[in-house]
Amino acid sequence: MMIAYILFSFAVAAALQFVPARAVRPVAALFYAAQAALAVWICCRGFGQPSSSFFLFDAAGTLMFLLMALVSPVAYYHACDYLEQDAPRDFRLFTQLLVLLCTAIAAVYFASNIAVTWIFLEATTLCAAGLVYHRHADGNLEATWKYIFVCSTGIAMAYLGVLLLCGMSGEEGLSYQRLAETASRANPLYLKVAFLLILAGYSCKMEIFPLYTIGVDANYSAPAPASALLSTVLVNAGFLSIFRVYKVMASSEVFPWVCNVLIVTGVLSLLVGALFLRRTNHCKRFLSYSTVENMGIVAIGLGIGGAGVWAALFHVVGHTLIKSGLFLQIARVRKSYGSYRINRLGDYMNISRTGAVTMIVGTLLLLAFPPSPLFLSEVKILGGTIGQGKWWLTAVMLLLLCIVIYGVWDKVLKLCYRPAAVRPAAAQSPRRLLSLSALFLLLCAIALGVWQPAPLADLIHGIATF
Amino acid sequence: MTLSLILLYVVTLVYLSITERFRNYANLIALQGWILLAVALLRLHSIHLFDLLFVLIETLVFKALVVPMILRRIIRKTKINRVYNSGESQFNSLAGSVAALIASIGITYYIADTSMNVIFFGVALYALLSGLILITTRRRIFSHLVGFLVIENGVFLFSMAIGAEMPSLINIAILLDILISVLMLGMFITRIGDRLHSDDSERLTTIKD
Repeated sequence: MMIAYILFSFAVAAALQFVPARAVRPVAALFYAAQAALAVWICCRGFGQPSSSFFLFDAAGTLMFLLMALVSPVAYYHACDYLEQDAPRDFRLFTQLLVLLCTAIAAVYFASNIAVTWIFLEATTLCAAGLVYHRHADGNLEATWKYIFVCSTGIAMAYLGVLLLCGMSGEEGLSYQRLAETASRANPLYLKVAFLLILAGYSCKMEIFPLYTIGVDANYSAPAPASALLSTVLVNAGFLSIFRVYKVMASSEVFPWVCNVLIVTGVLSLLVGALFLRRTNHCKRFLSYSTVENMGIVAIGLGIGGAGVWAALFHVVGHTLIKSGLFLQIARVRKSYGSYRINRLGDYMNISRTGAVTMIVGTLLLLAFPPSPLFLSEVKILGGTIGQGKWWLTAVMLLLLCIVIYGVWDKVLKLCYRPAAVRPAAAQSPRRLLSLSALFLLLCAIALGVWQPAPLADLIHGIATF
Repeated sequence: MTLSLILLYVVTLVYLSITERFRNYANLIALQGWILLAVALLRLHSIHLFDLLFVLIETLVFKALVVPMILRRIIRKTKINRVYNSGESQFNSLAGSVAALIASIGITYYIADTSMNVIFFGVALYALLSGLILITTRRRIFSHLVGFLVIENGVFLFSMAIGAEMPSLINIAILLDILISVLMLGMFITRIGDRLHSDDSERLTTIKD
């Protein structure tokens, strides 16, 4: 089925090249419908079914795929409006790249083999680079160059780690299951070096320390609806790639060391996010640093282990819904003002009440105020740190989270209530439906914050138990 | 024979750290491509014929011919021949390279066991560090590009140490790597030179907070 899905996506991308301009959106809608149909099919059929030698519809992949099936059509709907002034050729290429990116990400989600994960992560670099270069300006060229360069270097480093694991498993193959079976009797030093290389390499996709900068630059340069995907579903692909290696390591004697590395990485990411959130003056970089901060919390959750793993997964789910909603709303802000410079924006409440409410609700959810799902996950992670007697970690996390709350809230309040330095475009209609669609994602997050449906809770519990 | 080729490969890495002319960079990358082709011939003779042909053709065409050709074209187009604008000492680069070599040998012997070909691992690690040194210590984008190619070649070399066990996946991965390399080179030659009118990395710092 997965191979059929990939072939279908290639067929759609190819068809988009030849259909008339007015047919681009219906053909793209067909792709998103197929994506949703696949998600429903997997849920109805049950998890853990192998799709081919290299793909497995497991619980973790399915959870991430469900999120992508929810977020990506909304992002494309926004893109249709955001890029309405673009030449038909550019919009056609943008749509093709989105289709291919979603397909590569889906393949990463369902890959049951570490080499296949690596291959499709590399493929996401190619697709995402096209989206980052969409505007063709000098700044886009610089961001694209850096994105391809750093991602390729990072992924080459990760490849070295994959090859080390490959040497460890010998002829038994590179499926995660086989690797987990052989990890317990592998050379611990090989495992440590392999994990470090893979973590450092994939950090460019998960947007955590050390290669987080490239994700920030990519989000800055890409059109906002594409950033909504790069900062959520692509980040989730990076997360899942690291999480699968983490699970492989769980059966080995180096697991406590792996957890400590993740905690250090998480704290450094949280630190970077907290400091740069205060400093940046660009709306999209601001949201990107928030992604770095949140992925830092996720890494700490994995490092804590136990309930922290559940919390990390739940945090990823909540973050995907909230961050995509905020990125899409920021696209509306850009449409209104023609600028992303925070110090030039203001008075958004009087320009678009629905949009301003969406921004405020989204920000409160992002800052983990109840009923945000992030509140639940952060409380669990902090509880985990206290439970393990890591008071220094609790204190550092609380301090950095306070800096984050101050930095984020200050900027969003200014956007909504401060007099604006630039006049918004007079002829712009509010397009309330677009803001409502972003709000819909935030409402989904709120729903998860107050009530977790039993199937979802079981799904996350199943992933976190190993 | 394989050991001699690997030693020659190490010499190219050391020479890359001290050479000043971009033309030498291109020649060394080409030489590395030919060495990798020879190592692939010697190392992978036991794998399936189709997979062997695939690896040999992609190594010959891309690593030994196409990539060096594109590098030379970039040099002709940008008309920038030297690493630095004025003559500066290469001592620091050489010291960094030697330190990387010693670190690679140390790490390799520290983690050596029977499940891994230590020579391939050590040289791949040295290539990785050499590439990173080139990227971080040199200012011109062309040097960064060469650093990336050095890393890619190192990873390719290491993949051959275990290539006999899973050729199809390794082949696909290598092909994708090469695709990315060619894309980067293509982007460099067609866009950056024209748009930014310089290959100095300091010009690529407009995106910041």
